[in-house]
Amino acid sequence: MSCVTTQDRAVAINPTRSCAPIGAMLANYGIHGAITINHGSQGCATYPRHQMARHFREPVEVATTSLTEKTTVYGGKGNLLEALKNIVDRFHPTMIMVCSTCLSETIGDDIPGIIDEFQDNHPEITIPILSVKTPSYVGNHITGFDNFLKVIASDLPDKRKKKGETNGKINIIPGWVNPGDIRELKHIVREMGLHGLWLTDYSETLDGGYYEPRPHFARGGTTVEELRSSSKSLATIAIQRYIGGEAAHVYERRYNVPAHVLTMPIGLANTDAFVDTLTAITDHQVPEALSVERARLLDALVDTHMFTSGLRVALFGDPDTLEGLVGLVAEMGMTPAYVLTASESGPWAERMVELTEELGVESEIILKGDLHELHKRIKAKPVDLLMGHSKGKFISDAEKIPLIRLGFPVEDRFGYHRRSIVGYNGAISLVDEITNVVFERKATSVVSNTLVELGVEGPTNIPLVYQNGNGKH
Amino acid sequence: MELKSSATLPERALHIALKVEGGKCQRGDGAGCAISSNSATTPGDMTERGCTYAGCRGVVGGPVKDAIQLTHGPIGCAFFSWGYRPHLADTDFHMKYTFVSDMNETNIVFGGEKKLLQSIIEASREFPEAKAVFVYNTCSTALIGDDGKDVAKQAEAIIGKSVVFFECEGFKGVSQSAGHHVGNETIFRQLVGSVEPEGDFSRTINIVGDYNIKNDIRTFEHLFEAIGLRIVTRFTGNVGVDDLKIMHKAALNVVHCQRSATYIADMMQEKYGTPYINVTLWGMKHMAQALRDTAAVFGLEAEAEVVIERELAKIKPKIDEFRQRLTGKKVFIYQGGPRTWHWIELLRELGMETQTAATTFGHDDDYEKIFEQLDEGGMMIDNPNVPEIEEILTRRRPDLFISGNKEKYLAYKLGVPFVNGHTYDTGPYAGFLGMVNFARDIDKAIHAPIWQTLHKKARPAPVAHHSSHGFAHGFEEGE
Repeated sequence: MSCVTTQDRAVAINPTRSCAPIGAMLANYGIHGAITINHGSQGCATYPRHQMARHFREPVEVATTSLTEKTTVYGGKGNLLEALKNIVDRFHPTMIMVCSTCLSETIGDDIPGIIDEFQDNHPEITIPILSVKTPSYVGNHITGFDNFLKVIASDLPDKRKKKGETNGKINIIPGWVNPGDIRELKHIVREMGLHGLWLTDYSETLDGGYYEPRPHFARGGTTVEELRSSSKSLATIAIQRYIGGEAAHVYERRYNVPAHVLTMPIGLANTDAFVDTLTAITDHQVPEALSVERARLLDALVDTHMFTSGLRVALFGDPDTLEGLVGLVAEMGMTPAYVLTASESGPWAERMVELTEELGVESEIILKGDLHELHKRIKAKPVDLLMGHSKGKFISDAEKIPLIRLGFPVEDRFGYHRRSIVGYNGAISLVDEITNVVFERKATSVVSNTLVELGVEGPTNIPLVYQNGNGKH
Repeated sequence: MELKSSATLPERALHIALKVEGGKCQRGDGAGCAISSNSATTPGDMTERGCTYAGCRGVVGGPVKDAIQLTHGPIGCAFFSWGYRPHLADTDFHMKYTFVSDMNETNIVFGGEKKLLQSIIEASREFPEAKAVFVYNTCSTALIGDDGKDVAKQAEAIIGKSVVFFECEGFKGVSQSAGHHVGNETIFRQLVGSVEPEGDFSRTINIVGDYNIKNDIRTFEHLFEAIGLRIVTRFTGNVGVDDLKIMHKAALNVVHCQRSATYIADMMQEKYGTPYINVTLWGMKHMAQALRDTAAVFGLEAEAEVVIERELAKIKPKIDEFRQRLTGKKVFIYQGGPRTWHWIELLRELGMETQTAATTFGHDDDYEKIFEQLDEGGMMIDNPNVPEIEEILTRRRPDLFISGNKEKYLAYKLGVPFVNGHTYDTGPYAGFLGMVNFARDIDKAIHAPIWQTLHKKARPAPVAHHSSHGFAHGFEEGE
């Protein structure tokens, strides 16, 4: 049976997580023409910009109110008022989102009050200006994204909704994924003959093309008008519980839009659940194209099971990604030996214990964990594969264990933001990548599609042949 | 010259100047020269500046290769400053770890001192090979009044090694520059001179203000050694804590980055009487001058000439080749501070002209050095923001933009060749040999066939069916 442990150390060494403002900034990038003002020190905007540019390889622009020593004494109101005016005058945005920081929260700036004052002074400025609380010392990067969505759900949608009025769309909250994931979800929704309203959609704004002339705002993103009409959607689907789960319930409570909060659709069963939900909301049946993709995933799982069954894997990252990923890992016959997250959520850990039980795998679920802790676990009992973001490379290098890169950030490889890990196609590409990594590690030659293992070379000292896929060895 | 993008920000005119006929200076507001610098950023102008913490942790303290780099604050400051600046070193420990006291809401309410002390003790226990713990303060922990200095003292007594506390909270200054200052002062006060080694230090130097970006030191350290000098301490590229402690023993400080490290040279001159010279370790003329000036202090002029002649002979044919391909190209340099003026001469040696020169956090002396070297028609700009950079790239159309990671993709989206001057594309770029790398990267950037393809083949963005962008009825692509 799986067990839950909580890391017990004051100091965090090589954290898997970053801080709240970057989550709100990322989410805001999914709104066409929206601009973020970060109310705090310049670094609170510049560091996330650097980080996002390294992951997406796109220009990332976030404004800062540039608070300094003086403004921390007298308050940052003047700076925020000035920043709002300057952004409107120079950028003509469709929306502004102001997110806070440790600094502005600690000195107690009343951001909603300052925004009200700005709007009173400038009745000609009619774009939405939202305030999102994102001090770094509360939660982590997913908290910022989630808080942003709650504000969107509460503040933007049209409250004048006639009985039975609908826009015919389904609100879909992809959460913290990659542009490639959003495109894959769009593909599924489109194949189902449905229309998604994406909360939010950074599939093109953060993976854009080259155009001459360069458009004023990056193409793509959900429009403010669409967000306004999101109260009239048929349903809301959140594919991450901790990013968007609560916002989905806001839609249900306030606008009577039914909420469906799912496990992230990674792997066969989890993608089935997503597709089944779409079917349940509408009367649309699963089309041929998706059935073919599904069958292709099953085929890939069959073709590769002899190479992947029994492998021990360490997973680290955000709770929702891990919950989805465990599904695929088990479907591939692998054991998610360590599942480490920075989150401290007891309910999540309990669900993971139940889930691994159902999947017939045994895991150590590590809460409040960092990568140094994971490294120590792996040194004590090795794994064959690591799955998580780029910062896992230090363990990968030291222990010579391949790292399957996913999540955020992936800054030491090119094009991972374009990939998808969700949907049938996302699963297929992960199955392919994992199997190929096994080939590279385990064999020096492959004859007739049969893996030839040479000597004792291999990622762990546990012979593959003595393991089975059920984790009962 | 006025920038249209800043028409609504009149104060920005004070940060822009042109070198007009007769070498005179014309500031954006029409006045004579002295552009405004090192002053507060206009809120919301989309600045590229960072914070004081970044200047201290990222630039000065971070390169120290055997110190535990511990941030006292929330997780973000530590995560984002982890391992992105390639200040390489020769220890296994360096750059692979980031440590943070991980302040949460409760700590912010009740104070974080206990957790900091615990963090230092735990970190030191996990990595006993580390020689010191560097603790960097952040906005939140400074505002709640944690006495990090006192905690550092307590921790030092417990763990038995140096605990250095940097008061570099992000909001302290107008840019990263304030963080450099804090970094210098703190290292000087707490480490320099704490050990008195025996031996002959008569022919020794410190290399001050080089951070060993992509192994820059490999291009020049052996040259100083070849003329008969020994390097005691590097401040702070590839430096160990023990070396910082004996830094005061060197006979001369050779100061390269004169924005981020002159502070420590001044303090050493005052306290220990150590003289210093300013040098530029990029480009042929400057690198040779650096060796000559350094050698002159020790009476080793002849030895220097031998080294210079030998090294120049190695690279000259290659540089001549690149010059033929690069002559007449116009460059927009935008760096943190001194690199902008360090490189104007290097580019001239490659036949290129600096058309626009900008810095993120330069002070008056940086702009004086820039202005001196610009040709007529050259423009300089302090703390340029995103729309201004975009306007310069599109209106002045440089053949090359030398800047950093954040600006890179803007340049690419505008079809402008780009070289990363902060972290280098394929460095090192310093010294004689590094200049060949620099020239090669510039040549590769400017002459890559992609630019022809882009300008011939690129199309406008698809026509928007939607009111504000290209998706019919706001539905997903392909509808």
